[in-house]
Amino acid sequence: MVRHKAKVNREVCLSCGGCIAICNQDAIRMVEGKAYVNDSACIGCGICINFCPVGAIEKVDAV
Amino acid sequence: MKYDVVVVGGGPAGSVTARFAAEGGAKVLVIERRKEIGVPVLCGEGISKKIDSWGMLDSRNWISREMDGARIYSPNKTMVKLSAEKAGNETGYVIHRDLFDQELARKAMRAGAEYMMNTKAVGLIKEDGRIKGVKAMHFNEKLEIEADIVVGADGVESNVGKWAGIDTTLKPNDIESCLQYTLANVDCEDPFTDFFLGKKIAPGGYIWVFPKGKDVANVGIGVLGSLSRPGLAKKLLDDFIKSDPRLRKGQPLRVLAGAVPVSLPIKTVKDNLILVGDAARQVDPLTGGGLTHCLEVGKIAGEVVAEAVNEQNFSEEFLMKYERMWKERIGKKLERNYKVKELMLDLDDKTLDKFADSLKDYNFDEFSTKGLIKALVKKHPSLFVKLIPLVKG
Repeated sequence: MVRHKAKVNREVCLSCGGCIAICNQDAIRMVEGKAYVNDSACIGCGICINFCPVGAIEKVDAV
Repeated sequence: MKYDVVVVGGGPAGSVTARFAAEGGAKVLVIERRKEIGVPVLCGEGISKKIDSWGMLDSRNWISREMDGARIYSPNKTMVKLSAEKAGNETGYVIHRDLFDQELARKAMRAGAEYMMNTKAVGLIKEDGRIKGVKAMHFNEKLEIEADIVVGADGVESNVGKWAGIDTTLKPNDIESCLQYTLANVDCEDPFTDFFLGKKIAPGGYIWVFPKGKDVANVGIGVLGSLSRPGLAKKLLDDFIKSDPRLRKGQPLRVLAGAVPVSLPIKTVKDNLILVGDAARQVDPLTGGGLTHCLEVGKIAGEVVAEAVNEQNFSEEFLMKYERMWKERIGKKLERNYKVKELMLDLDDKTLDKFADSLKDYNFDEFSTKGLIKALVKKHPSLFVKLIPLVKG
């Protein structure tokens, strides 16, 4: 089974912080002014992906 | 570095809290991660004129345009108008949030509060389970700021609350996914704030047009998180702008994304730490408005904090006075409007059109969401039995 993770495209992110507030795993924080997902905490639920107003977060295969 | 109070975040809630704490005699430090107070603007920039009577701002340079009223459009564009002539003079302003925030910060500074910019809180200092202050990065320098009271005014992300063990995580149905353009070259002659409702227009939210001038307007959208899809807010807003003759030729001076908490009130005191503003979810869950609350609640917070400092009592029990007082002031409204928000989600577009049709010539006696609900109850007693308890008292 492939496990998924959320990944933020820094070029698209407008730093609203919504993904940080909505993540129930506390897996996202601001790093150098943009949202950043901590891979080891992300469970791939996709809540932040659906929330993002500009579609800056993608589902990627976990490595 | 030792202070009585450290405030994390120099937005309206943080600055007002800092001001009243400092005026009450506390030694206050505000840390702000940004490089300029109020910048970038993250807001629709609408506010009620009722703030005038609170006397918290002297200058008027933060007012961009005075409004004559509000217009609400149902899905089929039936308009309900709340105007000053019909509902008294308590309408609103469209403001410059950067200047507004800076005015509040200047007031806090005048009262003696210190500010540090480009300073990011990274954690709490804890000793034997007790909160002793805030760990921060100031430029590339690590700081330990000791304080008897910590105030989390760090916005929707609410990291300070999480560090203290308060559950501030917002469920997808308790947060709005927002996008806004400030558009120039638009045609907004009328000084009215406009709200557009409908499941296809903005599911679980609305589109707003707040004119900052005759040819400049903030045009934004909120979509409820549980109904959002990747990039949906942007797509729906772009579609709306293309479809509106007033806005079609508009060009963006600014774009911003936002996240607005629309939840029930949460716990706002933990040991010697309190939360204020968006971090405390002190936002009207129906309108998404929070600016007036920041002023009301910030004053209460600052005064209680100053009292705690003067009595050297930093217990949760003492600071709970703040929570009781702010809930007394706005708690009922937040709970009522949360219920209305939930009821609204069940209404289809046809019902909204019907409601709008019945209210289009109504003379509102109150310029507020409560006034709107009252009118709806009057017009649709059978449909709105559920709403009646919400407007009593």
